[in-house]
Amino acid sequence: MGQFIQFAINGLMSGAIYALIAVGIVSVFKATKVVNFAHGYLIMFGAYFYFTFAVIIPGQEWAPAWLASWQPGWMVEMRQGLNMFSPLGAVLDWAANVPRIIFGLIGAVLCNALLGMLIERSLMRPLMGQSVFAMIMVTVGLISILSGAASLIWTADAAFVPHIAPNTPIRFEVFGTMVFLFGADIVNMIIALLIFGGIVAMVKFTKSGVAIRATAEDQSTAYSMGISVPKIFSRAWILASATGAVAGAILATRNGISPSLGLFGFSVLAIVLMGGLDSYVGCFIAAMSVGVLEAMTQWKLGGEWAEIVPYVAVLVVIIFRPHGLMGQKEVERI
Amino acid sequence: MINGNLKADYGADERVLNNRNKQLFVYGSMLLLAIFPFVAGDYAMLMACKMGILLIAVVGVNVLTGYTGLVSLGHGAFVAIGAYATVVFSNLFSGLPEGILPLIVIPLAVIVSALVGIIVGLPSLRVKGLYLAVATLAASFIVTFLIEQDLFAPWTGGVNGINTPTANLLGWELDTKREMYVLITVLALTTLLAAQNLFRTRVGRAFIAIRDRDYSAEILGISLLRYKLMSFAISAAYCGLSGALFAYFYARILPEQFELDLSLELVAALIVGGMGRTMGPVFGVFIVMMVPELIKIAMGAATGGSLELARYTGPVQEIVFGLLLVTFLLKEPLGINQITDRILRSANRWPFARG
Amino acid sequence: MLSVSDLHLSFGGIKALQGVNFEAKEGEITGVIGPNGAGKTSLFNAISGFYAPDKGTVRFDGQDITDITPDKRASLGMARTFQNIALFRGMTVLDNIKLGGHTRLKTGMFSAFKYFGSARREELELRRDIEERVIDFLEIDHIRKYPITMLSYGLQKRVELARALAMRPRVLLLDEPVAGMNREETADMARFILDVQEQFGTTILLVEHDMHMVMDICSHIVVLNFGQQIASGTPAEVSKNPAVIEAYLGAAA
Ligand SMILES: Nc1ncnc2c1ncn2[C@@H]1O[C@H](COP(=O)(O)OP(=O)(O)OP(=O)(O)O)[C@@H](O)[C@H]1O
Ligand SMILES: [Mg+2]
Repeated sequence: MGQFIQFAINGLMSGAIYALIAVGIVSVFKATKVVNFAHGYLIMFGAYFYFTFAVIIPGQEWAPAWLASWQPGWMVEMRQGLNMFSPLGAVLDWAANVPRIIFGLIGAVLCNALLGMLIERSLMRPLMGQSVFAMIMVTVGLISILSGAASLIWTADAAFVPHIAPNTPIRFEVFGTMVFLFGADIVNMIIALLIFGGIVAMVKFTKSGVAIRATAEDQSTAYSMGISVPKIFSRAWILASATGAVAGAILATRNGISPSLGLFGFSVLAIVLMGGLDSYVGCFIAAMSVGVLEAMTQWKLGGEWAEIVPYVAVLVVIIFRPHGLMGQKEVERI
Repeated sequence: MINGNLKADYGADERVLNNRNKQLFVYGSMLLLAIFPFVAGDYAMLMACKMGILLIAVVGVNVLTGYTGLVSLGHGAFVAIGAYATVVFSNLFSGLPEGILPLIVIPLAVIVSALVGIIVGLPSLRVKGLYLAVATLAASFIVTFLIEQDLFAPWTGGVNGINTPTANLLGWELDTKREMYVLITVLALTTLLAAQNLFRTRVGRAFIAIRDRDYSAEILGISLLRYKLMSFAISAAYCGLSGALFAYFYARILPEQFELDLSLELVAALIVGGMGRTMGPVFGVFIVMMVPELIKIAMGAATGGSLELARYTGPVQEIVFGLLLVTFLLKEPLGINQITDRILRSANRWPFARG
Repeated sequence: MLSVSDLHLSFGGIKALQGVNFEAKEGEITGVIGPNGAGKTSLFNAISGFYAPDKGTVRFDGQDITDITPDKRASLGMARTFQNIALFRGMTVLDNIKLGGHTRLKTGMFSAFKYFGSARREELELRRDIEERVIDFLEIDHIRKYPITMLSYGLQKRVELARALAMRPRVLLLDEPVAGMNREETADMARFILDVQEQFGTTILLVEHDMHMVMDICSHIVVLNFGQQIASGTPAEVSKNPAVIEAYLGAAA
């Protein structure tokens, strides 16, 4: 039972990150009817940007020393006498990294947002109103462009990137079994859920959210109502790539940085489809279920089999509910 | 009125090569293909064989995506199934005389691919467009994943790959590239012709009708169930044949050769060449295979063979491949076939009018 | 020949059809009229099998076809045209019309791959049949090789009729065949419809807003309003019916 809870919690934690990634795909789809097949590669760029701003730049000679490691006198004092694995020690380790973590996150979000805007302007906008198929295939082409570009730009082996939160181990007993959690994972989950909730609230309640929904309903009507559809397009892409940057940074701290981060996007694509493409709630449910299912698969069948859980899940769901868990069936008017 | 195009009877009017220029182009190309192995070097031979193998698969994707309008991003998996089925069946039937083995193994590989194609195509009855693209992608991830599993490693070799047999047609051992070229070219031309024929009959027309307007097709008596699955089966069968040749051509196959990159290459070749057109795959495969080679040669020359810089070749190839696809989508979404059409049309009208 | 009884159909809250009953008699032209949104197209969609009715049955030549798919209804001999032209825009006029012959042809996948032999024979026979029976009949020989996108609206409607005729239908459903046409085109189309009835004995069900045409060519008329069947009878009866006058005046007011 304790084991079960351990894996369930692990699953929920990765589920939250899936949800954070899914939000980017859903937002772009809602506004533009385009499913971004390259979203995973945007996330990979986010991870590399975080690496650049949190590791490479602080490590340069010209960078101020406090950026790389912030060691004010009081902190050095507190540090003394602590043993290696003390929770306070982990917090202090993290505190020394705070400047570069913040620098890294801001840098990653800004750069990735810029990248998203660039993609929208140069590749999506020329096709706007013409062919959704072409736009989707452009994102397929983008997979190769981004993946090639990343390996051109970041040739160095990606080293360790700092955790966003103190990585104190937390353990407690449930039904006689020890459950282990890491502080950083919990904070990651909270960040992911906050961003997810924030975006959903924005789309539901703010003016630009209403504009997005109106555009999703009917582009030409939205146009005639005075909504600037190109602006919506561009905002959706910026939103997706900025949230993608945070997700990328989190993933980088969890699993390290590698080109396989791009492939991660495809599992999330499967999740989004499972949820129903344009439903935030559906995607949240799908993300959490896949997270938990993966953890359970890992527990019972081993880590490898967890890899295909999202793909099997999406096929099963599509067969029984062709439009996803919460997606709307489009009735064609004849 | 162009006098040269008057037709005497319906049979003549239904011909495919309905003007001099088309005939010249097709018969000329066949002649070139026949002369090719006698004049080409090893490298050219290798490229030609690779193109032929890829072409068969792209023709298959064209049937599904170009003509039936069902987008698949996972057809690399069917090539994998064809290739692995070839190896597995060859080992299974190793007791049979070598000379007839391929004659049994190739059709079996094609049939297995087609059957899996029908299964993967099942969601297409209920979902359209995007859902299908993701469903096929998911299915292909599952297929390559299973091939890699230790569970099936005794048959597939797992992640380390497996050695493949040499084709032997009734005692003629195809153990050189030049010999394989003959088999590949004959099969590639046959499949291209078969696909072309398909679209002169009710079967192919039904596919196009489903692509253009599915409910209208239904009202004409076209069963969506039957024809969508048929289209999936045909395209998977083509990919399976391509996979079988792949297995015979190389000494060893690895699961990673059939992953996402291959599926994307198939779709990219189709879009660049021209979807829903007979010659589209031909042009597309040529470009998609040649451009990376040219980059390799150019980069090799530019960097003077420095190993340090050779690292960049892969990423640059990847970027250019993506750019190629994107550029065509933005500038010439109907592909090279559209460009050649324009040229042929003006050649046909020459010297009367242009355009 | 074709009859519906007690047909009900709804989309969420909208009741598109509420108890429609009538029979289209063999070889006759039956008109379906009603104001915009009355449910005429929905009725056609239920008859051709796109929407499953909530209640009621559709019968074709005595056989209950309520639950069979549209393509099977086509094989039984039901053809239709659409209010919003539904031609295959990626094909030529000729290929569009050839598609009408789909159910009558037999070529399977393997003979299609071969083409030469049975498939070719069948194709040439189809071509001859279409040329003589449809293309000449509807006077569209000059455009047979044109892509659909190059045709005027009126011609597209005519090609859609041609495609339906290529099916050799026993029952033909026409959804607003002359909508958006000028006077001359309308007269042509009315003539073609009458010719079809006369030459082939086809049972025709016609939705149309053009009252003159409906009164002229239909022998029986069904009137719908808000999904309800408010009248049916001969043109003379229907035009005197107070409920019908009320519905039309109400809609106009
Ligand atoms: N697919 C659908 N989903 C929801 N409502 C629909 C659908 N199809 C039709 N309706 C509704 O059903 C009602 C009847 O529509 P229908 O198209 O049958 O009218 P009609 O008589 O053909 O009108 P018109 O003369 O304008 O063509 C309308 O209120 C319409 O909005
Ligand atoms: Mg209508």
